[in-house]
Amino acid sequence: MDATDSARRLKAYIAGMPSLPTTVSKVLEICNSPKTSPVDLDRVISLDPVLMGKVLKLINSAYYGLSNQVTSLVRAIIMLGVNTVKNLALSTAVLDRFADKSGFRALNMEGFWRHSLCVGAVAKMIAKKKGVEARLLDEYFAAGLLHDIGKIPMNNALSDEYLRAMGLADRERIPLYLAEKRAMDLDHAEVGAMIAAAWRLDGPIADAIRYHHAFGLYEGESADIVLAVIVADYYANREGVGFSGCLYPEKPAPELFERLGVPKAWLEDIDDAVNAEIERASVFLKLRS
Amino acid sequence: MFSVRIWGDRGSMPVPGPDTVAFGGNTSCLEIRCGRRLIVIDAGSGVRGLGDWLVRNELKNGPIDADVFITHTHWDHIMGFPMFTPIYVPGTTLRIRGPVNFEDETLEQIIGGQLSYRYWPVRQDELAAKIRYESLKETELDLGDGVVVKTKYLNHPVLCLGYRVEYEGKAFVTAYDHEPFINLFPTDPADPDYDEAVAREGEAAAREENERVEAFFRGAELLVHDTQYTAKEYKAGKQGWGHSSYEHAINAANRAGVKRLLLFHHDPNRSDAELQELELFYQAKTRGRTSMAVDVAREGMTVNLA
Repeated sequence: MDATDSARRLKAYIAGMPSLPTTVSKVLEICNSPKTSPVDLDRVISLDPVLMGKVLKLINSAYYGLSNQVTSLVRAIIMLGVNTVKNLALSTAVLDRFADKSGFRALNMEGFWRHSLCVGAVAKMIAKKKGVEARLLDEYFAAGLLHDIGKIPMNNALSDEYLRAMGLADRERIPLYLAEKRAMDLDHAEVGAMIAAAWRLDGPIADAIRYHHAFGLYEGESADIVLAVIVADYYANREGVGFSGCLYPEKPAPELFERLGVPKAWLEDIDDAVNAEIERASVFLKLRS
Repeated sequence: MFSVRIWGDRGSMPVPGPDTVAFGGNTSCLEIRCGRRLIVIDAGSGVRGLGDWLVRNELKNGPIDADVFITHTHWDHIMGFPMFTPIYVPGTTLRIRGPVNFEDETLEQIIGGQLSYRYWPVRQDELAAKIRYESLKETELDLGDGVVVKTKYLNHPVLCLGYRVEYEGKAFVTAYDHEPFINLFPTDPADPDYDEAVAREGEAAAREENERVEAFFRGAELLVHDTQYTAKEYKAGKQGWGHSSYEHAINAANRAGVKRLLLFHHDPNRSDAELQELELFYQAKTRGRTSMAVDVAREGMTVNLA
């Protein structure tokens, strides 16, 4: 199979993927506004009945232990406040779209999502450490969570080739994205960019997806988020949290840490906090049904 | 014995000084005794006095063992923890429980995290006490020895629990920091965002939640309720800050058949003279209209429930 054929099959697969609904971008947009109104929040979540169902399910889950059943979003907003519901919606909207088991052949789904959650959680912790504004923290999380999204169509539409790429990376002790490039002429960052384009996702999240293995080529305005994802990805691979398919990741150059403003040594102290963050985030994944 | 002693009743920030001598300047901390069991609600700056008292008077009878309930993790409710002397005494056992927002760190990180070098010369790891943390939801806990604690979410900008301690057929309830639930959705048909169904649901939700809060303190022997503001102050820009007015607290407690109400969580700018005046004012207003006793909480006061 030639490179054009790979690209064609990936494109066909991406076209058939559930599109990122306007809700998710809308939720991101509304939630990033410091003065989200209850009316806006109710409307944006109500646009997507599935999302609304998930938010209500989470509110009624053991996490809050509410003794009476909450059956409307309006009620949830009045009871728990705009901020709580906003955060639930954001996490649910983003995570729920992508935690789809069907796309996993070469990679193990649990391991992949654990890796993605870890990168999201660590990217957010880096943002906190840097003193990034609270309203932007979720963007760091989403960027980390989605950085490897390109692996989903590769796993599914080109699973034999993907297994070959993983074998090649293993034998030659090279980073997975280089092996992908050799086996399929495309790497997961490029495929991720195709997904982002299909979803009309731009800005920092799309940049992190596209440039997390090619920071040298990056000329956009969101270097901090891209770098945070690169460092978080390195941490997750090094610590073996989940499994991204990459056994020989590239080490970020020391000057990248300097530019990010977070010392490499700081990564040594965050294990417990990362685990706690992942456990919290995985509540959303467990709610799938 | 079933008693409540107030070690701190101030809201937001400790305010020591000549204007806060009578009612006290420490932030919230309550000591509850149910027979031999010790319950502490909140570790505001008032918990320092309680800790010293315990070490002075009770340590000789054996190690200190307490259930500590935190209403919420805002700073004025946890700031006294590093100065709670029993945490440095070997043999002390504390079970600390409280609500934590989904997005936040754990209770241990939030409360115990105050003991880290950036804030304090002693680190959490160095404490002598045995401390167990547990995050709490709306629930019912049987503490043993006939003590039951029930919890209810209140309305505050962060997850916040009211506590109902039941012992020997009597109940003590806290409802702070709290403001009445309100409908956050437009109810005026002229408003461009008006939606009839949403408005109706919003009204019903707020009303039913308020009824549930009242049901939570129904029949209480003693209720300690948030009264940071007067109704006038509340209406003039304090709505949404998570605190109640005196008027709301008195009416809600009265409807719920509470026997004695303590007005609590005083605004840091409220002087002794002002609190005294407010107490006389609201006592005069309620006299003859209800059998419920209404007083402004004073640091150091003890109320015996049984």
